[in-house]
Amino acid sequence: MAIESSAHTLGVGIVENGKVLANSSAMYKLSDKGIIPAKVAEYHSKNIGRVIQHALKEAGISLSGIEAIGYTKGPGLGPCLRIAQVAARTFALSRSIPIFPVNHAVAHIEITKQLSKMKNPLALYVSGGNSQIIGLVEEPFRHYHIYGETFDVGVGNMLDSFARAAGLKPAWGSSVARLAEHGHYMAMPYTVKGMDFTFTGLQTHAIKMLEGFEHKDIAFSLQETAFAMLTEATERALLLTESKGMVLCGGVAQSARLRQMLSMMAESHRTKFYVAPNEYNADNGAMIAFVTELMLKSQHPAPIERCTIDQKYRIDKVMITW
Amino acid sequence: MVEPKIISEGAESHIYSGNLLGMDIIIKYRHKKKYLAKELDALLRSQRTKTEAKLLATARLNGVNVPALLFVRKHALYIERINGKTLNKKPNTNKSLSEILKHAGRYLAQLHNIDIAHGDYTPANIMVDAQNKVWIIDFGLALQTASLEEKALDILLMKRSISRKTFRAFINGYSKHCMKNSAILSRLAEIERRGRYQVRTLLAQQPSDS
Repeated sequence: MAIESSAHTLGVGIVENGKVLANSSAMYKLSDKGIIPAKVAEYHSKNIGRVIQHALKEAGISLSGIEAIGYTKGPGLGPCLRIAQVAARTFALSRSIPIFPVNHAVAHIEITKQLSKMKNPLALYVSGGNSQIIGLVEEPFRHYHIYGETFDVGVGNMLDSFARAAGLKPAWGSSVARLAEHGHYMAMPYTVKGMDFTFTGLQTHAIKMLEGFEHKDIAFSLQETAFAMLTEATERALLLTESKGMVLCGGVAQSARLRQMLSMMAESHRTKFYVAPNEYNADNGAMIAFVTELMLKSQHPAPIERCTIDQKYRIDKVMITW
Repeated sequence: MVEPKIISEGAESHIYSGNLLGMDIIIKYRHKKKYLAKELDALLRSQRTKTEAKLLATARLNGVNVPALLFVRKHALYIERINGKTLNKKPNTNKSLSEILKHAGRYLAQLHNIDIAHGDYTPANIMVDAQNKVWIIDFGLALQTASLEEKALDILLMKRSISRKTFRAFINGYSKHCMKNSAILSRLAEIERRGRYQVRTLLAQQPSDS
């Protein structure tokens, strides 16, 4: 079993032999101002008991059937991460079971990889706070190498900021997509440097344009430009690594337009392309539980004093032992 | 004109080889990308083709040994073809690697003096021909900029791709001809101390056989 609470979603997943038995969650309802970490943390702490009960019921097992516990160590919002960490540590100590701190990005990629049945695909991981192009390499140790990433904000947060400035309602990603449906293209700043990219210039430009231009045109151009930057950077990484497969994961993977662009790009290079069902793209407990099981089978449990949280826990720091 | 033959399909462009009035040429065609919005695709292709053409021509006029740009047609550059091999493909030459890189250093300095950053200055873009002449190719990622950062990154990219000894020759050639040498080199030292982003990216781009 594992607990995930890196942002506004509180998730509990239960996995056995790579099969998901339960994937329960509770989501903090976003206000117009975005996420206020302390409030979300309060929400998580109030609901965590309920969500764990729900997951156990869904899996049809009792607490004593839990072999090991995992939690999201990072990256994420500090106060939110803390909730899952404290719960997991309490759980591990009181029931004397092994505990594993899990990297959130690794979990997104591993569950998508499992579902895609690809061996070693190149991954584009896009969410609120992260936008990275990632592949598994063996040197100097087995880890996920970041080929390219955003120099400033994640693509999801950029779209959210724009949507708030435009007065749209959450969920902002899909609000922007709906607004963009009948838009026309206008030129916007396009910043790709090799396989890295930046989004803040684009964000500022789009927000400034809100006065004086049609909102649907801005939304369309913003989305087209941001996704084009991601796709182009991924295309370069794909040719560099000569990967046979490619996956898309993370919250923004729910965007239909981004999926379309990447699948067209993959097709032009005769590369296989896969996106997981939305329930696994949004933050969820099942993916953390999935990695917890991988860790349980391939490494020693973490000593309790090492079970910390890390708001900036980078994926290339994680040794892959499976 | 003989029917052009495709020789490589990159992320940026398709390269064809051809013959124009008895001269061997390559055609660098920025192909259409279906996944982009039509207008954005057109904008990127024409802007990038234009920038590359301008910088390639400027570099040659300022004494950097780059292949001649013959003409530009929509989204395609027609460029003189050099019969040589790039450094990562082990060219057949009696010049030592240090000598070649000393030249490469000088050419980079000359580019930086006129505010051009190459953007992809690696052994894969340094060519040596049958007469042992050194050529700089591929201005696809080049920028017109005075930024110390971009210039220092050019040097860093090379530094990560070659041995320490040959880099010494490279930097000797560079320092002798560069006007803002000390400012650029101290920025380089700063980037190396910084460590994280740039160095990581550059490592990933390093050709596997060097």
